[in-house]
Amino acid sequence: MGNNNQQESWEKYRNNELRGAAGALASLGFSLDEVQPHISGERYLMSGKKLVLVGSRTKDHLKVIIKVSSREEGIREIESERNARETLLHLRFAYYTFLSPEEILYIRHGGYLIFITAFIEQEKTFLEHDVRNQFNLALRAFKIQEGVHATTSSHARVIRNVFGIWGAEEYLSSFKEFKKISEGLYPGDEALRSALGRASLFLHDNAKTIEQYCGFLTHTDFVPHNIRVHGGEIYLLDHTSLRFGNKHEAMARFLNFMLLYNRPLESAFLQYMRENKTPEESLSLRLMRAYKIAFLLSFYVKSLERTSGDLNTLTRARIVLWTRALESVVGDESLADAVVEEYQLKRDSLRSPEEKRRQEKLH
Amino acid sequence: MRIIISTPLYPPDIAEPAPYTKELARRLSASHDVIIVTYGRVPEEVPGVKILVIDKRKPLLPRLFSYTLALLREARLANIIYLQNGASTELPAGIVARLTRIPLVAHIGDAIADEKASKSVILRALQKFAFSRAQTILTETPPPHPEVLPFEGFPAAALSAYEASWKNHLKQLERQFSYGK
Repeated sequence: MGNNNQQESWEKYRNNELRGAAGALASLGFSLDEVQPHISGERYLMSGKKLVLVGSRTKDHLKVIIKVSSREEGIREIESERNARETLLHLRFAYYTFLSPEEILYIRHGGYLIFITAFIEQEKTFLEHDVRNQFNLALRAFKIQEGVHATTSSHARVIRNVFGIWGAEEYLSSFKEFKKISEGLYPGDEALRSALGRASLFLHDNAKTIEQYCGFLTHTDFVPHNIRVHGGEIYLLDHTSLRFGNKHEAMARFLNFMLLYNRPLESAFLQYMRENKTPEESLSLRLMRAYKIAFLLSFYVKSLERTSGDLNTLTRARIVLWTRALESVVGDESLADAVVEEYQLKRDSLRSPEEKRRQEKLH
Repeated sequence: MRIIISTPLYPPDIAEPAPYTKELARRLSASHDVIIVTYGRVPEEVPGVKILVIDKRKPLLPRLFSYTLALLREARLANIIYLQNGASTELPAGIVARLTRIPLVAHIGDAIADEKASKSVILRALQKFAFSRAQTILTETPPPHPEVLPFEGFPAAALSAYEASWKNHLKQLERQFSYGK
């Protein structure tokens, strides 16, 4: 299916869902904002059958975030997220807990599952804080995650069906799938094939290190748009991406993101790891970075057939960039700034105006 | 001297007494044979230190039985058992110390486990069972290793205090261990 068909189909679903949900929400005393940043731009490439909306409670104008779906897939996702939130609040083996936005309403109504939480105001986005503050905030969040370590069979019983438990075997098998997708759908790219081959050896040779740091709570999509900072504290917005796995997976995702958005912060964390953690932990972080890049590559390769025009050109540029990033992580080298800057220029020239608007204040 | 450190937690676990135990083993191994008996999966290695790990994912009773057996096997050739508090080590160490008559030094390094023991009749009885065999119960622990943070000054004073604290702690331990020889 081409870009237009895919996008049109998603937009049709979105508009229908939005119309129905607006009615259901109105009868519950909530209204939707005119501008909905979480359902526009490139969002169609990543959205499932669930809408994330911004609105307010009519009686007191309290600003809220609304997750809503009438489709089975979306309903399941919302239910899992709620379940994860609830379980996390009551884990007996957690040394610390994440702050989460207050739950306002969770209800099945008019054919929809609706989950409403308070909107967390923030004075500025994560990336608008100075780098020192960003470092301290993120470090605290990583410490919270590693403070939740499921080790015994009784811990496993509590979390298995809520979060999922991943060991080295699951990471390797998932990597194999990413590799298969990328090589199968984009067979002519030798650089990609070679980078994935090296990464595969790297992960298999160090499977024991992946396993060593498993059993920890980790957020598999720990990036600024999934958190908000208020009163010097981090609030977790997305609970669907929590699992018990390698404790460096969250930091790996975060540092891969910072490779593009804030290289001094990426360097600061690598320095922190070198100076405070064991060599095994630094290796584990590199392994997870390689794993997460392989995921990104497979995501962009899959997106190729759903994009056209500038977005297709941009997706190809993303594959080139992340292939080079994968090479650098596996080779334990820093990716040249020039490579990142060249990509950023290209990205900025190819993004649609709608996507540029969506990106504003996102991170 | 052959020293067994019996501990419920060990890195990659992050809660105390895990980091303490690893640091202690590293320091003691310069002049002693050190064996760590712990629960976990894939422990962080320390050059020259033998680490025996009982899989935490086993059900409780088989886990305790395996741990006791491993501790008993190592204790036959050891001079001392250095016990870190926690129900999962107190019971095995109490049994092994009685069976082998090996000197036992106990250390309360896990304040949370100690508090739990003070509130539960069973846990308190287990602790009493082990501690009644101990020649000493130590409560002091050196502070955690100061972190070197990228945007802060180098924590020279904190690192000196940390080293001094370990020096004193090791002196105290050596004294206790030599009583038990």
